[in-house]
Amino acid sequence: MKNFFISHRGSLLTLLGLILLPFLVGLLNGASPADVFVNGNGQSKFIQGLAIEIFILTIYALSFDVIFGITGLLSFGHSMFFAVGAYLTGIAIKSFGLSLPATLGWLVVASVVQALLFGLVLPRVKGITFALVTLGLGSVFHILVMSSEFGEYTGADVGLQGVIVPAFISPATERLRFYFVALTVMVLIYLLYQRFVNSPTGRVCVAIRENEGRAQMLGYNTFYFKLSALLLSSLTAALAGFLHTLYQPIVSPNTAGLGYTVTALLILLIGGVGTLNGAFVGAIVFRLLDYGLRRYIGESASFINGAIYVLFVLFIPYGIVGTWRLKSLQIKQGWERLLKMFG
Amino acid sequence: MNSFLRKNIVMLVTVLVMAVFLTAAAQGMEKKDFVITLLRGLAVGSITFLVASGFSLIFGLLDVLNLAHGTLFMIGAYMGWTVVVRPDTFVDLLTPLALIVSGFALGDVYPLLASRIRLGLSLRRLLPWALILVSILLFGFILPRYPIAIWDVENYAQSPVTFSFMADSGARLPVMPAAFTEVTMPSAFIGLLLASVIGAFGISLFDSSPRTVRLSWKNFVSIAIALIVAIAGVAFNDNLTAFLYGLSSNWLFFVAVLVATLSGVALGGVMEATLIRPLYSRPIYQLMLTLGMSAIGIEMVRAIWGRPEFVMPKPAFFNGGGEACPATNFADWWANNCSTILILDGRVRVYNEIFIPIVGLVVLISIWILLQRTRLGMIIRAGVQDSQMVEALGINVRRVFTMVFALGVGLASLGGVLAAPSMGLSNLMGESLLLNALIALAIGGLTSYPGAALGSVIVGMIQQFIIKYGQIGIAIPFTEIIFKPTPPLVPASTVMLMVIILLLLPNGLLGKKE
Amino acid sequence: MENILDVQNIHTFIGQYHILQGVNVRVPKGSIVALLGRNGAGKTTTLKSILGLTPPREGRVVFNGQEVNGMRSFDIASMGIGFVPEHRAIFRDLSVEENLKIAERKKGDYLRKKDFIFDLFPDLKRLIALPGTSLSGGQQQMLAIARALVPDNQLLLIDEPSEGLAPVLIESMMAAIHELSKESTIILVEQNFLVASQLAEYYVIIEEGRSVQDGKMKDLAADKAAIHRFLGAA
Repeated sequence: MKNFFISHRGSLLTLLGLILLPFLVGLLNGASPADVFVNGNGQSKFIQGLAIEIFILTIYALSFDVIFGITGLLSFGHSMFFAVGAYLTGIAIKSFGLSLPATLGWLVVASVVQALLFGLVLPRVKGITFALVTLGLGSVFHILVMSSEFGEYTGADVGLQGVIVPAFISPATERLRFYFVALTVMVLIYLLYQRFVNSPTGRVCVAIRENEGRAQMLGYNTFYFKLSALLLSSLTAALAGFLHTLYQPIVSPNTAGLGYTVTALLILLIGGVGTLNGAFVGAIVFRLLDYGLRRYIGESASFINGAIYVLFVLFIPYGIVGTWRLKSLQIKQGWERLLKMFG
Repeated sequence: MNSFLRKNIVMLVTVLVMAVFLTAAAQGMEKKDFVITLLRGLAVGSITFLVASGFSLIFGLLDVLNLAHGTLFMIGAYMGWTVVVRPDTFVDLLTPLALIVSGFALGDVYPLLASRIRLGLSLRRLLPWALILVSILLFGFILPRYPIAIWDVENYAQSPVTFSFMADSGARLPVMPAAFTEVTMPSAFIGLLLASVIGAFGISLFDSSPRTVRLSWKNFVSIAIALIVAIAGVAFNDNLTAFLYGLSSNWLFFVAVLVATLSGVALGGVMEATLIRPLYSRPIYQLMLTLGMSAIGIEMVRAIWGRPEFVMPKPAFFNGGGEACPATNFADWWANNCSTILILDGRVRVYNEIFIPIVGLVVLISIWILLQRTRLGMIIRAGVQDSQMVEALGINVRRVFTMVFALGVGLASLGGVLAAPSMGLSNLMGESLLLNALIALAIGGLTSYPGAALGSVIVGMIQQFIIKYGQIGIAIPFTEIIFKPTPPLVPASTVMLMVIILLLLPNGLLGKKE
Repeated sequence: MENILDVQNIHTFIGQYHILQGVNVRVPKGSIVALLGRNGAGKTTTLKSILGLTPPREGRVVFNGQEVNGMRSFDIASMGIGFVPEHRAIFRDLSVEENLKIAERKKGDYLRKKDFIFDLFPDLKRLIALPGTSLSGGQQQMLAIARALVPDNQLLLIDEPSEGLAPVLIESMMAAIHELSKESTIILVEQNFLVASQLAEYYVIIEEGRSVQDGKMKDLAADKAAIHRFLGAA
């Protein structure tokens, strides 16, 4: 038991920090925890909002990590997984007046269907061609969402708005509750993914990434493993989309575009492709950077974002977490040397 | 005969299907509409082909999926626009750009220089970074102080849109002499040259493999050209600007095409040598890099040229009007340079629907000759299959890689500048064209040169026919219903065709099995 | 006797796999040296390491007195090394003539060597215009060797020339290689011990990435126990 705490102290400390974050920020700004509890306006509420966005981005990035980082399938249509979840949630609540559990039920059905759709092409195409086919499927969905024919439901190129979120979880009045729901979902998904990576199925997926031919020779039908990774990814991304719709006042059609897949790629690249913590670290860096740049330098933020992305690709290809793992020994030694110099 | 049939079965079936499709399409519309749509399809196909062929050459030989290709296409268009609409800016830019390129043009000398430097290991690892830093600082100091006549995106009266209108109506801007205020001209010139040489040397130090370099005069040709251009740009600044202003719009357009293509070539060469080359061992990262470059390029264009869309003026050669227009036959057109010509009663725009397909055809044939008849083409064809073996024969494949990348980007830029007068310029023109090119290549076969042409024509035709039918509607047989395909169907239909073809033939129509 | 090539204790990694863990090969000028060993022992990687296609991380490769490890492959090859890879690696999209022409290092190499090559492989002459794909396995092997003869190479690296060939063709292949050895030095990777023992003067046995034994071929041929131990069957 003691070992468990020691070996997981990083994750546990992070979790504790995230639980306390709203109250700490509140205290720093002179708002008592009681104020925070009743969702008073202030810095704490704002920070919670930013954190919720980060949690959603993390879930979304994790869903991409399982197919790209773990299984090695490069899909350029991944944003479709997210957008299907987001749009379906919005449409189910707004146009059909479904309850949240019923919406979630439909979401599962839709995720399974789209994972099977992507899975359909799996045995036929590999590598770059898979990326192109998924790009094609994704852009068809993007076009459909943008088209005026379905504008009544999707809001066409303006985006889906006016979704009335049930009051008990409304991000406006019950921000703190929403914060903890999002946090819980993220932690659960993270634990689930950790299980998956260490499960026999997950190990085969890693083997497929390393060398699909060898995995096949060992007698695994790689198709089923890739399909299961796709299923898991699709469900998770749809869940992220679900939270996104509940949280954001408007679902932009950009969430279905190639740019949103690139966002997931960027987050993973910053954090470290194939590492699960990397998704969280990457999401934090990505969101804060984007926020800070937009606030302080405005228009050219995307330019600097792009430049940072290119620098990461060229010089830190394993991302923050990946590089940390590779170099942790060196960093530790350097740290000790530094301490010795002062002590 | 039998074996010919078997080998080209896919090609024959495709041609057959296309013929059936076109005949069916012809039933529903008037003859003149059919001719116009057919030519428009060819025009869109030609532009797509210019992007797709470069993309496919690069992918075939280098295994780099250059997702920035659409953005480079767009940059070509904006470059051409600048030459035509603001020749003074172009002339002012000539010198700094030539100086930046000249450092990289000295590529073969650096290894020799590097072998003379004896340093400790840690210093040796620090040196490239230090040099690059110095170079960036120098650039950062001089470039903002270099006088370049420019527009103001924020101010409407000074914005590219206004200049574009003015150029369209023939109004010319006064020639403003380049005035060096904070830095003197010689120091700016030498500083930029120095910065570029230091930077290029720093980058070259990353590749530390010893090599045998035999210097000859050939190594100095490119830097000599760059320097001559740079000196000419500074010395004859006003004369050049006045000269360009004085040119007829035809010649100006020709200069624009040349400049856009050449700057695409230079940009491609520099991009391959600095950004793409370190990542050959990590293909996925290369892919992500090009994706990032594409985003950066779009942002750059937004920052420099702004977001509004505008159209590049057409050269007068294709823009005549008046009594005699539209021309009824070719001789008539030649005499009056009408912007339109009547073919089978359809009014066809000469530039958009005749000139562009002709250029497309010319490029198709010249690249084909390059591939089939020259030593470079032989190396490219061999390298597409097995670049390692080509290298083992003693051929510097990396240099061929750079050339092909430069050629591919040059083709994209050519496509961009040609499309600028017909399709107009916008921040999004690159992305939509890249999607078209990707679809065309997926249909035709990713590394097949004829496949790129076939796929592009198919994509162009399908899109144009659907657009046309969106206007006139399709009468569904045996019913009264008239079905009008809506705009979203245009991209959606080609994407669906791509998915279907990839599922049937994962290597595309003319692609070879790996 | 002077060594044209001296491979000193090279270590090569492919990805994270430590493939070569100390290989030494000395090649006297004008001789044929056979690299022997079981499948996957590292013979092909040794050839590729000499050429820099899989650059060795440690050790030295000295060709004609000059250290070449770390140099780029095409620079090494242009110093006069010809490579005939396993599975031939004929360029499919090039005709037979183009497959030969592409190997030119100086303009006119092909014209100068044409007669010599077609004397050696008369079959190739009538196939000259055909695409590389339409050749049979034996013809492809001849073309691959012929390609290495177009420039003036001092050293030929030939990988598995007899693999997948009919016995009759192996005979003529051996005759050709024997003919070549009069002009240049050859390193031969060969699974078929009979072929190797008839052609080569010297041998190096590579086992699990290390060179474990070398010497004169006629000594090895006499030592049935060693053959059995290192190479399985004779």
